[in-house]
Amino acid sequence: MKLKQIYFLLFFQLVIISSFSQEIITKNTLVSLLSTQTEYTVSDKIILDFKTKDNNNYTLYCSNSYGSSVIKPIISEEKISFEIPFFLSKKRGILSWKLINNKEILSGNITLKPKQQPTSIETYLGPPSIDAGGLDYTMLVVIPTDSLDNPIIDNSKVTVKHQFLQSEKKEAILTDKLIGYKNIYSPTKSGRMIISSESYGLNSKEFDVNIMPAIATDFKIFVDRNHEYADGNQITTFYTSIIRDKNKNIISDGSYIEFYITNKEGGILKTAATTINGVAHAKIIHPDFEDIWKIKAYFIGIAESNTLTIKYKKVIDDYIVSFKENNRVVNVGPLESFMGQIIPDGLSVKLSIYKKDILINALYKESNNGFASFFLDPNIYEKGQYQIIIETAGIKKEFKSFKIW
Amino acid sequence: MVKTNKRILRAVLMLTYLMITGVLLFLISSIFSFLNTGADRSKMLHTEVKKVDQYLPKISWKLDGNEGREISKQKLNAVQNDYIDSWYVKHIAYKTNTRVGIKDYFTESARNNIYDILDYNKLNNTSIQSTTLQHNLDIEFFSEDGQLIVLKDTNAIEYKKVFKDDKLVLESTEVSDYKYVLLLEDGFWRVRHMVKESSEKFKDISQKTPISYTNIKGINYYPQATPWDMYGDKFDINIIEKDFNIIKKANLNSIRIFVPYEDFGKANVKWEKLEKLKQVLDIALKVDLKVVVTLFDFYGNYDVLDWTLNQRHAETIVETFKDHNAILAWDVKNEPNLDFDSRGKENVTAWLDFMIILIKDIDKNHPVTIGWSNTESATILKEKVDVVSFHYYEDIANFEKEYLDLKTKITDKPIILQEFGLSSYGGFWRPFASSEEDQALYHKEIQNILTKNNVPFMSWTLYDFDIVPKEVLGKLPWRTNPQKKFGFINNKGEKKLSYKYISN
Repeated sequence: MKLKQIYFLLFFQLVIISSFSQEIITKNTLVSLLSTQTEYTVSDKIILDFKTKDNNNYTLYCSNSYGSSVIKPIISEEKISFEIPFFLSKKRGILSWKLINNKEILSGNITLKPKQQPTSIETYLGPPSIDAGGLDYTMLVVIPTDSLDNPIIDNSKVTVKHQFLQSEKKEAILTDKLIGYKNIYSPTKSGRMIISSESYGLNSKEFDVNIMPAIATDFKIFVDRNHEYADGNQITTFYTSIIRDKNKNIISDGSYIEFYITNKEGGILKTAATTINGVAHAKIIHPDFEDIWKIKAYFIGIAESNTLTIKYKKVIDDYIVSFKENNRVVNVGPLESFMGQIIPDGLSVKLSIYKKDILINALYKESNNGFASFFLDPNIYEKGQYQIIIETAGIKKEFKSFKIW
Repeated sequence: MVKTNKRILRAVLMLTYLMITGVLLFLISSIFSFLNTGADRSKMLHTEVKKVDQYLPKISWKLDGNEGREISKQKLNAVQNDYIDSWYVKHIAYKTNTRVGIKDYFTESARNNIYDILDYNKLNNTSIQSTTLQHNLDIEFFSEDGQLIVLKDTNAIEYKKVFKDDKLVLESTEVSDYKYVLLLEDGFWRVRHMVKESSEKFKDISQKTPISYTNIKGINYYPQATPWDMYGDKFDINIIEKDFNIIKKANLNSIRIFVPYEDFGKANVKWEKLEKLKQVLDIALKVDLKVVVTLFDFYGNYDVLDWTLNQRHAETIVETFKDHNAILAWDVKNEPNLDFDSRGKENVTAWLDFMIILIKDIDKNHPVTIGWSNTESATILKEKVDVVSFHYYEDIANFEKEYLDLKTKITDKPIILQEFGLSSYGGFWRPFASSEEDQALYHKEIQNILTKNNVPFMSWTLYDFDIVPKEVLGKLPWRTNPQKKFGFINNKGEKKLSYKYISN
């Protein structure tokens, strides 16, 4: 009987206790956040404490700039704590958290500020070469980052330093939108500018920008030749004055200058050269007949020169044409130059042969030791009446009713 | 006796021999014909490289100029592509906890921040399925040498599902502002720095749109010859016009039509399909029928990474027809609760929720509804829809009670019986199944209840069909055959007995 009563009591107690425990659960779904700080610096240790009596199954969802994760709590009496892992708390920006227990219970945001002290200054400088003259500029972009690779707080001061020849300048800029930037305008002289930046005592590497001469201004051309005879052998050199930009910087070496030559008949000859120290030397061979040349040089699309006129004198006044072997061998020469000397080998001689005013053929020979010799092949040119014209050094000789047999 | 047995044996042997020979011949000939078919010539050359649309969140640009160098439209496009791809690879990475693709879109120091989180999540068996629905971009700075951009993304809507040990623990939608530093490396605009500047919970601010009228007497419509394929090659506007006139004459005032997702071209809706839909709506307007347009027919994926594609689909259609006077309401999806088992209730509900928000954002004049397949599901998302729609194919005896029950749960919104009906499929081999008489009786009874309670209704359906595509109910004849006989008019165009009770 007693045993029965004890059992009954025990059972009764159990019922009461279990009902109590149930009550506790319903009460303790009320969870509250104990931590009050919402602003941290990136390297700070962040612990979020929540007051709760039941500590089952709570997890914390965290989301920072780069991604999201779920972390487990550290359970102690009447309190659960979450330590935000370093890989989430090290990045600047908003860190959102949500306390979850099958569903979202509490949520909030923590602001993570970057450190003020940068440990590296990422620098981007471009374009790497600019024109002198103050119109063109290069841009320096700096991202000062702290030890955890976060861009430091906006409105941080960065000093931009640049040196050019004698001048050394320092200018302060403020970072904004994660970066800081400055446009650096070119000086009037060409050369190399050295740029660096500094933020909170940290100095960047040295960067350099080539200040290239600006575009060329108009220039003059000159001629240089051994003699003024049209011997088809000597070389005439055209050259420019020192080509400079408007600030008197000599233009870059290798600028391509083209020389256009217009001759007496309106034909165009062309020669070209690239500049060295602002001067381009272009060469062309003398004509082999009397001519007048007008020369103008261009830095195409940028600048041009004056027009220069030069004359080439005749070198041969006359020459002899002789015929041999049934008139089938035609000898031209001796071809003598301005002092009576034998003209250098290679003068072009042209023989045109006509029959009844119709051109049959034109033969070309180059002079050798002052002579040029043509052979009219009987297999090609039958016996009969022809007309021939011989041309060399701008002198034409015509032989009408010329008979070969 | 022995003789006949022998004969039977002989005949059986001969028949078997013939059959075996036949089968062998068939097999050999099919091998022979297979070997004689050459390679598909169209596949010999890789003549076209198609860009597959995988991820198309809504993007708007604030083109108010920027500091630094002026940016061209082409460059803006390149930035947009790489930026959106960077989100896509991130979604994939957090979903699978793998590093695939990250290094293409994040610089060496930036990608480590992602790898750290990925490693931790992998270790703790956490994965995150996420997508972004909207980005509002603004170039704030473009460096003079064209290598560095500061990009701002305001109010980016991110939807995330967090799984721990393969169990969904959190659904979260956040609206965040980001600031980025992008660098041009190896032809990619890569993320160098990424700073979340603010983040809030997403708030649905869409307004309720009342339905223009509730005295709906309607019918679900498919042409007789082309059910479930209304906008295919056999599309004939004259047949549709004739049918609409029949519907109008039957004292009905509205119809419900379906827009198949894949047939319309998924994310890139085909203009020729839109043109056909426009013709249908124009005819409805001409005949004076109101139209409930059901979107996403034959769609059932709901995968988080599919959402942006679905949204572009809905966006195009709703944007095109939001001012069309024939439209009565947008029905987001037909019977989505049937996908709860296979795709997960949370998935489907969240998908519907965001689709409603999107449609309401574009079209502020037409109400939005969901065609739930029964009364139990009809309360899901009841706060979000403008009109509650449900279908009823169960016992007619319980209909009135179920309807009134639903009405006590939904007090502030119209409730439409969007599909109901009975098949007249039966015959001497299935004497207890149904018949035309049963169908007529059913419609007579239900019309009484509908009139009594003033229920807006849309019945299923105008015609008996000859074909039911296997995508609808599968291939099994005992399932598809009844589906062919729900019409008020049979496949020969004759009115069935139920036609008398098509409307009230």
